[in-house]
Amino acid sequence: MTLGERLAHPWLTVRVQIALGVIFIAAALPKIVDPPSFAHMIYNYRILPGPLVNITALMLPWVELIAGVALVFGLWRRSSTAIIGALLAIFIAGISLNLLRDNPIDCGCFDVSAAGKTAAERFHDMRMVILRDIGMLLMVGQIFWATRIEGLETGKRID
Amino acid sequence: MDFRRYLLEAGTIVAAAVVCASVANLTAGRERKLAFVADYPNALIVPNRAPRPQPVVTSTASDGAETLSAGTLVPLEAQEPGVVADAAPPLPSVTQTTAAPVIAAPRVPAAAKPAARATDEEILRRFPVRDDVPYVEISGDDAEWLYHQEILFLDARRTNVYDEGHIAGARNFAVWESDIDQKVAALMNEGFDQRKPIVIYCSGGECEDSHMLSQKLWGVFFNNALVYKDGFPDWKRRGNPVRTGGRP
Repeated sequence: MTLGERLAHPWLTVRVQIALGVIFIAAALPKIVDPPSFAHMIYNYRILPGPLVNITALMLPWVELIAGVALVFGLWRRSSTAIIGALLAIFIAGISLNLLRDNPIDCGCFDVSAAGKTAAERFHDMRMVILRDIGMLLMVGQIFWATRIEGLETGKRID
Repeated sequence: MDFRRYLLEAGTIVAAAVVCASVANLTAGRERKLAFVADYPNALIVPNRAPRPQPVVTSTASDGAETLSAGTLVPLEAQEPGVVADAAPPLPSVTQTTAAPVIAAPRVPAAAKPAARATDEEILRRFPVRDDVPYVEISGDDAEWLYHQEILFLDARRTNVYDEGHIAGARNFAVWESDIDQKVAALMNEGFDQRKPIVIYCSGGECEDSHMLSQKLWGVFFNNALVYKDGFPDWKRRGNPVRTGGRP
């Protein structure tokens, strides 16, 4: 079995799907519970115009939640994976931009309460978050790869 | 045509999210609700992390209570750390922040705490109306002095944090909660003299909620917002009156 075949194996794909879906569900819930705190987190990124801060804080967690649930249950796999991949790319870009701008922020990924960290701790966390998000992007890539191979083998459209 | 199909599915997920978010927000309680659109003037301005400048000192003034108004702007280049002469208040100084220019008000020496309440004229002489800047930053000493003058204090932190402990008498004006505009309107409707100082605080440090609230108040012509920069942690450290629960 080649590396490509191993990577596209359904055993692996199902587990990656569930893991990625659960991560996004877990990330969405605290934000849904406390939208004002998440709006504050988004504001701290300083990349969205003022009028878009609240609307993003309200909508984004639900997109994460629904895409995560879809992935866990294997529904619309490619579409929900594409959404999650796009979100990860946006998160990486937002955090990288703030690293470049020397603006220490809490990522607000899984916890929306102000952690009271120092600037140095925040910069360290931001670098770790970028690495973590890149890892999740690799998971997204695996799902795309596996569903593509699956489609080629079966000749069917893949959800 | 798979691409169109995937696009339709992704659009459906986003549409479902919009519906869920709208329903959740409309049915949320006061503390969890957000205005769908709110204006944050500094949303794209990155905070300046440069060290805060030291206040300028003077050796000429003899009475800190009467000499300097908070209205004098001193260029940053002109500021140098120095030694404060006895009973001499530092000059007002411009500090760099994320928002509009900020002017630090002259510090009132702790010894200047009055036995009796100052008159409105005295308070206004010390903290004059500023319609050119949204707020003036004040020290803990100033905040204590103003507290003794029964000046209005507003707490800009979240309601759950306010409930855990706030400056006794301070009102809850959680700037990130959806009813903040109603609270500001209610303050206007109370017939509150909009020239009188209002002290606004949050959690000190990098907290900007108090600055944000003062911008809102300035927008409706409350022209004497004083931001207690070191906020509630400093107030507690000084052993000043604190209250828990939802009542001021």
